[in-house]
Amino acid sequence: MNRLKLISGHLSPGGSAAPLPDLRSSDCGCAAPSSGDEVVVVHGRRTAIGKAKKGSFKDTTPDELLSAVMTAVLKDVGLSPDQLGDVCVGNVLQPGAGALMARVAHFLSGFPEKVPVYTVNRQCSSGLQALLNIAGSIRSGTIQLGLACGVESMSLRSMGDPGDLSSGLSANAKARDCLIPMGVTSENVAERFRVSRRQQDSFALDSQIKAALARDSGLFDQEIVPVSVTVRDESGQERRLEIRRDEGIRAGTTLEDLARLRPAFKPDGTTTAGNSSQVSDGAAAVLLGRRAAVEELGLPVLGVLRGSAVVGVPPDLMGVGPALAIPAALQQAGLKVNDIDVFEINEAFASQAVFCVQRLALPPEKVNPLGGAIALGHPLGCTGARQVVTLLNELRRRGRRAFGVVSMCIGTGMGAAAVFEYPGP
Amino acid sequence: MTTMKVFRCPGRHGYAVEASPFLPNRLACAASQYYGITGSGSLFVLDQTETGIVLVRSWQWGDGLFDVAWSEANEHVLVAGGGDGSLQLWDSANQNAPLKVAKEHTQEVYSVDWSQTRAENLIASGSWDRSVKVWDQNLGASLATLRGHEGVVYSSIWSPHIPGCIASASGDGTLRVWDVKAAACRLAVPAHKAEILSCDWCKYDQNLVATGSVDCSVCVWDLRNVTQPVNQLLGHSYAIRRVKFSPFSRTVLASCSYDFTVRFWDFGRRLPLLDTVEHHSEFVCGLDFNLHIPHQVVDCSWDETVKIYSPSCLTAAS
Repeated sequence: MNRLKLISGHLSPGGSAAPLPDLRSSDCGCAAPSSGDEVVVVHGRRTAIGKAKKGSFKDTTPDELLSAVMTAVLKDVGLSPDQLGDVCVGNVLQPGAGALMARVAHFLSGFPEKVPVYTVNRQCSSGLQALLNIAGSIRSGTIQLGLACGVESMSLRSMGDPGDLSSGLSANAKARDCLIPMGVTSENVAERFRVSRRQQDSFALDSQIKAALARDSGLFDQEIVPVSVTVRDESGQERRLEIRRDEGIRAGTTLEDLARLRPAFKPDGTTTAGNSSQVSDGAAAVLLGRRAAVEELGLPVLGVLRGSAVVGVPPDLMGVGPALAIPAALQQAGLKVNDIDVFEINEAFASQAVFCVQRLALPPEKVNPLGGAIALGHPLGCTGARQVVTLLNELRRRGRRAFGVVSMCIGTGMGAAAVFEYPGP
Repeated sequence: MTTMKVFRCPGRHGYAVEASPFLPNRLACAASQYYGITGSGSLFVLDQTETGIVLVRSWQWGDGLFDVAWSEANEHVLVAGGGDGSLQLWDSANQNAPLKVAKEHTQEVYSVDWSQTRAENLIASGSWDRSVKVWDQNLGASLATLRGHEGVVYSSIWSPHIPGCIASASGDGTLRVWDVKAAACRLAVPAHKAEILSCDWCKYDQNLVATGSVDCSVCVWDLRNVTQPVNQLLGHSYAIRRVKFSPFSRTVLASCSYDFTVRFWDFGRRLPLLDTVEHHSEFVCGLDFNLHIPHQVVDCSWDETVKIYSPSCLTAAS
């Protein structure tokens, strides 16, 4: 009997009663033999996230936060900093995106002068953009190993000075839209896509509950680097504290509490302080490398970068960013929504987060299982890198091969997303 | 999951694996060139070490090899079934050529099994020529030929409890139970509406048999009442290639499939699927439990690998 015919018959049975499943190609669960050129994540750590202006990092300069995570990541894996080909730091509010600050942090960490560093600012995605930049350098063969970081002190700097802008801006609608306050874009999204106050508050509550549970279960303990800081109180007294706990989480929040809050950006609006991300301080660092180089050094592989995308969206609806960036990144990775186990979508505002989850039909249990920026906080330049650390640690905790997505919306109208694979224990 | 050990056999696509009943670290793998469609076959005798798998011995055969069974009488002896309709008896201690070759089946032999009831020492073979044959341990002329299936026979397995009793699975969609002494079919169960590629007996309950089918389901049957299965295990997305009952639990079994996965089931639970193991990049055809090392499983796939691993769901289930 023709063997080929027999086996083909197993795949499209002629006599079966049930309707045939359409044969389709799908990525098999087993990794293809991995290429030595893949960009892999070795390790990542973050500081706790402090409340800006009132929290424990309010008197801490960003170079100290950055230095703490950079030192910790390399120490954990026993890698000497002179092995790094480059360091990229995401930052938004420091002058020049913190280019000088980053070099200072370098030396505070005892990195040798021969290791270069630069900073990148793509607003809220800066931490992720830093990772994509380092990945790009690895892919182009410029470097073998690199550190991608993000840091922000929203205590010491705020979104004040917009810079030098042309007067022609006023005649250009899209250009004008770039100046719309973020909270107003949230109201725009809520209105346009009919995300109710109730839905936003409900989402915000979930974020608080999940984050509180994660913190109390010790799920963040491994990734947080304790930082010793000086805090000055109103009377000028200084105390030395070691900070190791996220401060933004409000355990015990109720829907009633959230419903009582007044709209923050528009008199009859739905966006409140309770369903928006918090203004925060924090830093994170992720060590990346070319797989062959990583394995040669005997370093572990925590994750593999499988795809990424950055897309532009209307500035006045900037919150929709993830809804376009995620499909683009998945397509680039050759994966579907169903293949992804965890989505880390930055909760800039509940309005846009809810919209994106609904638009992409994401199972809610897969979205931000450990809470998000509404509970934890959103230190602008740090967030992207922080999400990668939290995501990969969660996938590792689950103990089996899995895929995850990190995504965020970006002020002035963009969205970014990256797809990671945790290869399994 | 603890470390997984891998054996790579480039150019050979695994059809069957079996753990040795005598040596805890030994296993055999029957593999074929070109996915078994054409070309030759190889039989591998492998040993697992602390960290990996080493080749002890291998033989080539002129046609693809589709199944292998260890002798229950002699730790060095094994029997394999080939695409040329032959059964070959091999001795891993000595020979380069088979001890004996028996060519009676007129088409591919897809299943060989060595009787576990020690008084017997008989070999059963299932073939695409629609028959099941019974042989003595020296592969002399066959002792019985069991006819009745109306389609190719994919699997023929001795009952571990009842002497002289064989279950067979066929492309005709039936599970048949044979009485070898009478050379007769005692029971024909229309178990699936599609081809049945594998069957296995429960090691703790002589009435239970599992079938794995092209309809993507595994069914557990109580032979005392075959009007409907005791349980239907759904989850695989393509045909099931092999089913194996656990040697350590009455209700645990494993299945491997064209969907590249191996799944573990406990049909004593409300939600029977224990775990899905996705570590192959091609059809998974061979599957066995290690009798000596609880919860250790070996499988082989068309992706040119043999893998040994201890799924955490089995240790948890115990």
